[in-house]
Amino acid sequence: MTTTAPAGTTAPAHQPPSDTTAAPRRRLSLTGGGGLFVLPFLVFFGLFLVWPVVQGIWMSLTDASLSLRDTEFVGFANYTEAFGDPDVWSSLGNTVFFTVISCVPLVLVALAMALLVHSGLAGQWVWRLAYFAPYLLPVTVVTLIWTWLYQPDIGLGNQLLTSLGMEPVGWLSDESVAMWSVAALTVWWTVGFNFLLYLAALQSLPVTYDEAAALDGAGAWRRLWSVTLPQLRHTTVLVAMLQVLASLKVFDQIYILTKGGPNGSTRPILEYVYDVGFTGYRLGYASAVSYVFFAIVIVISVVQLRFFRQEG
Amino acid sequence: MNSAPPARGLPGAWDPGRPAGIGRRRLLRYGTAGAAALLAGGPLTGCASPARAGEASALKVWDLFQGGDGMLMDEMIAAVSRGPHGFDVDRTILDWGPSYYTKLAMSAAGGRASDVAVLHLSRLAGYAPGGLLDPLDLDLLAEFGVAEKDFAPAVWKRAQHRGTVYAIPLDVHPFIVFYDKDAADKAGLLDPSGHLAPMGSPEAFLDAGKKLAEVTGKSGVLFGHVTDTAQSWRQFAALYAQTGASFTLPDGGPPKIDIDAAVKVVSFMKQLFDGRTNPNNLDYNGAMAAFMDGRGGMIMAGEWELPTFRKSGIKHLGAAPFPQVFDRPAVYADSHSFVTPHQDDPDPARRREAHRYIAEIVKQSLTWASAGHIPAFLPVQARPQYARLDPQSSYAAAGEIAVLDPPNWFAGAGGNFQNRMCQPLQSALLGNTSAEKAVRQMVREADTLLRRPNPVA
Repeated sequence: MTTTAPAGTTAPAHQPPSDTTAAPRRRLSLTGGGGLFVLPFLVFFGLFLVWPVVQGIWMSLTDASLSLRDTEFVGFANYTEAFGDPDVWSSLGNTVFFTVISCVPLVLVALAMALLVHSGLAGQWVWRLAYFAPYLLPVTVVTLIWTWLYQPDIGLGNQLLTSLGMEPVGWLSDESVAMWSVAALTVWWTVGFNFLLYLAALQSLPVTYDEAAALDGAGAWRRLWSVTLPQLRHTTVLVAMLQVLASLKVFDQIYILTKGGPNGSTRPILEYVYDVGFTGYRLGYASAVSYVFFAIVIVISVVQLRFFRQEG
Repeated sequence: MNSAPPARGLPGAWDPGRPAGIGRRRLLRYGTAGAAALLAGGPLTGCASPARAGEASALKVWDLFQGGDGMLMDEMIAAVSRGPHGFDVDRTILDWGPSYYTKLAMSAAGGRASDVAVLHLSRLAGYAPGGLLDPLDLDLLAEFGVAEKDFAPAVWKRAQHRGTVYAIPLDVHPFIVFYDKDAADKAGLLDPSGHLAPMGSPEAFLDAGKKLAEVTGKSGVLFGHVTDTAQSWRQFAALYAQTGASFTLPDGGPPKIDIDAAVKVVSFMKQLFDGRTNPNNLDYNGAMAAFMDGRGGMIMAGEWELPTFRKSGIKHLGAAPFPQVFDRPAVYADSHSFVTPHQDDPDPARRREAHRYIAEIVKQSLTWASAGHIPAFLPVQARPQYARLDPQSSYAAAGEIAVLDPPNWFAGAGGNFQNRMCQPLQSALLGNTSAEKAVRQMVREADTLLRRPNPVA
């Protein structure tokens, strides 16, 4: 199967390029070959990623402040405080809740849209453009549009509801609704990217299996479930993993749309880190909270990877 | 590693037969040289650009004034830049809010801040004690014609930390009410001189809301607070101060607040914004739009919205200090002031220029008043031109009864405290929680902030 499938879909990714199989194992070297070419990247990577990570860990063990006060080593005091801070837990809960309610539709809706477009709908480019267009908008524009849609008084959402004889909804003011409103905005805004990944995968699938199944008398649904979806597994794994990580990082749209309100019901953990560190000057404590979150993200990623590997 | 030209690789990336002009090594060499030239050029051009040759470079000024305020500040800077003793000003405008204060703190902590910056007086307690501001030289300021006697005592007091003056106030900008004079007239709310008559009691204000709603056919009093991090607090702080009770935030906690008075205020706010005569679910822009569309007779907002309302075409716009409904008059306010952020190695000549600049700009505040702000510099307030400004002069008295945030490092404009106070208040106004519960949450939130280690002490 792997020999007939187009490259990049089902071929094992770990197969080494043929020209390196005979060569001795390469070591990292900056003197010859392409070393100089990657040097700029390595410098920036070290300077703007590795070094801040190390410095952040150190900072989380101090009472560093944005003011000119002397910094003192406080050991794990910041971590102890973080674990006992109800705001850390509530904002973490909000982040996880958002991740769950945004990731599921972001995968399923993207898949549905890709299947629809791939099914041979007329005017393909229109659909592709329409589905992908929102993704091109900057976050400020997206939130501005949706702020007006969610307007309690003159917003389109409530206008529609009231014209249908329904009660208006406090899209951003009702504590039990606000996070769903944020998720809806996020799905509208970013689903295009996942759609594109799915569409690319669908277009590179070999049609032979589908044709064979059709000849054997399998209906459209049967072919979807038993032929197409299993072949999209790797794409689904990729989309789901990227999406979980992206949703866990949620900050900008919430910060602009609700500032974490109403009553903290949409405040994600990253906004809490921002509040504590930059508005509240407590850089040491903010670092500790972000490393707690970092650890959680790593754990989630590893669990997810294991889960998908087992499935495979 | 193989040093010979590789036979593999991208087609066309390496062609030994080609002239060496565009070879990889050359490209790399030229690229490196180009990058080095860019790096070297940056600082050089940086030195060459500001000011006139041979003179001290331009005075660096940071502020957060955009839109109409920004243009007025431009005008004032242009006015002080004219003539032989004019300033050469390098102005940086940053976005209002937490981000401005973060950048200001970072630049001061780095010791290379601007020469002059704008700071809300309510934020002084978060900046002066941490060493982020350098004290002002009162003798120098006096030399340029600005002294303590030129400011209202309440405002001057807030410009100090432990007896040292760190800020020179430019204005007082209170939270007030704007109203449609025609609607208010029909509702019978104007006095014989055509100004908003005093309310005097919570009941009178509730009644006024109902009457205005009848006149407009939609809403009476508008207030945008949903998802806003300051509005509910501004309203609460004004009404709470009117009860005569005090709200203080002593380090280490607990906060000192009169629970009964606070509950009374929040209950009144809930009553006033009942969702029928006065909508309770508007956000800031929604309330502004509703008022400009004539869907409400009155709006509670900052005086800085005056230019926006003027442009909206409301025929007869009125403005008044925040109505007194409890025992004594009080309005919530803040004050834009000038400070000298901390510099590690300040140049005395530049510092002197910074002081002269602050003095000269403060004297220009009649221009500033045209946007609605009350000039903090009393000699400007006393000028007949100011008295002729309408409706600005009708709320000038608000400056005397101004109440700012209780001083503490986390309080003030764009700070965590206002945001945290707004969350339960917003919940109460939306009917999600009771006044008692909202006040209890406010106390709890304030206590949490007070118990945290003080990062500027």
